[in-house]
Amino acid sequence: MISFFTVLGRHIKSAFLSLFRHVAMTISSSSAVTVTLILFAAFLLLAGNISKFTGNIESDFRIHVVLNQDQMQQEQFDSMHSQLLALEHVEKAEFSSKDQELELYIEEKGEAFALYRGDSPLGNAFFVTVDSGDNIETVTQQIKNLPGVSNATYGGDSVSQMVDILNTVRIGGLAFVALLTFLAVFLISNTIKISIYARNQEIAIMRNVGATNHYIKMPFMIEGMFIGIFGALLPCLLAYFGYEYLYNTMGGQIFTSAFRLLTPIPFGVEVCVVLVLFGALVGILGSSHAVNKYLKWVR
Amino acid sequence: MIRMENVSKSYKNGVHALRDVNLYIGEGEFVYIIGPTGSGKSTLIKLLDGEEIPNTGEVHVAGIDVGRLKHKKVPIYRRNIGVVFQDFRLLPSLTIFENIAFALEVIGLDKVTIRRRVREVLELVSLSEKARSFPHELSGGQQQRATIGRAIANRPKVLIADEPTGNLDPEKSMEIMGLLEKINREQRTTIVMVTHDAQLVNRYKKRTIALEEGYVVADIQKGGYIAHD
Repeated sequence: MISFFTVLGRHIKSAFLSLFRHVAMTISSSSAVTVTLILFAAFLLLAGNISKFTGNIESDFRIHVVLNQDQMQQEQFDSMHSQLLALEHVEKAEFSSKDQELELYIEEKGEAFALYRGDSPLGNAFFVTVDSGDNIETVTQQIKNLPGVSNATYGGDSVSQMVDILNTVRIGGLAFVALLTFLAVFLISNTIKISIYARNQEIAIMRNVGATNHYIKMPFMIEGMFIGIFGALLPCLLAYFGYEYLYNTMGGQIFTSAFRLLTPIPFGVEVCVVLVLFGALVGILGSSHAVNKYLKWVR
Repeated sequence: MIRMENVSKSYKNGVHALRDVNLYIGEGEFVYIIGPTGSGKSTLIKLLDGEEIPNTGEVHVAGIDVGRLKHKKVPIYRRNIGVVFQDFRLLPSLTIFENIAFALEVIGLDKVTIRRRVREVLELVSLSEKARSFPHELSGGQQQRATIGRAIANRPKVLIADEPTGNLDPEKSMEIMGLLEKINREQRTTIVMVTHDAQLVNRYKKRTIALEEGYVVADIQKGGYIAHD
């Protein structure tokens, strides 16, 4: 008896032989993979960036909580800190002293306010981070009602509307990708089924000479895997270089820094890897499914 | 080696292919199965090969109850038998060498053994020069010899040949017969050969079983073709 790896080697060899002896089939199946994967790549790139945008905007979702002027003692800060954390949806509350507040103010409004250094007229404050943009409004209201709070503000309605829109786009995109995936699997397994149909005689002969179902399936599955990988190559290159080109032309962002694009490395590479794995998986599933059908045909 | 007990087989379309067939073929025998078209010869082969399941009765080959085999066990059973098909059934994308080697690869022999055995077999069926040819590049007789080579490569206990001379001229037929007799004699392989070549049956006399409309109508030890009306 011979080892598993020797057999695997034979299967890979026979898969390659078959790939080259059925060149037309290899090309037609591969191009089915290519077409769907190009669309798939476009959506992966889009969905990945939308996720990033939403994340960016959401990370700006901090509530600025300004305390009353009478809140000056460390114990008061501590109790306020724990009150804030006790609220639902609050993830984090960072203390910002009145001096730090002044620095931020100077940064925003200009050096003219540097005069106040050492005697900040501003109140002490907290930056509160909430778990998601959807909850920011209710949390802000709750904080305003806390005793000792002078005011609580966040970016406002326009920001939360933006998050809503991006969320919709993201979910819609995800649904579209799911649908596309389903279509791709269907299309590819069908193409492979048609090409294997021409070889059902071959499968029957293999059983005639004593090849087990498993033994018959292996080379077809390896073949399917390589068809998937070949088919993924072009979309992979297109996705990476296309994205890199886009990234460079756009200067890495769309309009504002809130819409910062993901960098080609690693994102473009990740998309590539996903495409190749996806192509391979679909190829394996498709041909396994197709061979199963013909294995059952004859005893 | 082969034992069929009360075997009946009918198809879904209502055709009764075999009716209550009882048959015993011992080890090392060479048996002809004769009969007109539609007499059940092909069905008999399909039952022996595990391609069909009998409606009633049992088919035992080399100690295996062929009718009760599960779908995935059928190929493993077939490693005990060699089948020579009338339509050759060579893998079109493999060379003759590879076709014969394939039957040995699937049973898990190592490369060196396979090479040696394939060369031996090619020598035996006189196809050594055609080792690198593809099936479609060969004549009918050569393809038939290649299938015989494949069938005997793993030294099966039983060789079943379905009209092995069906597509050949008389001269080539005699060549094939010589080959089968040699295999029967030298390897002690039990051979069941389906044919309706009367000339051949009369010339190479062997035990002859005649089928007609699904019944065994004659089983003659000394052989010879029986005329049908």
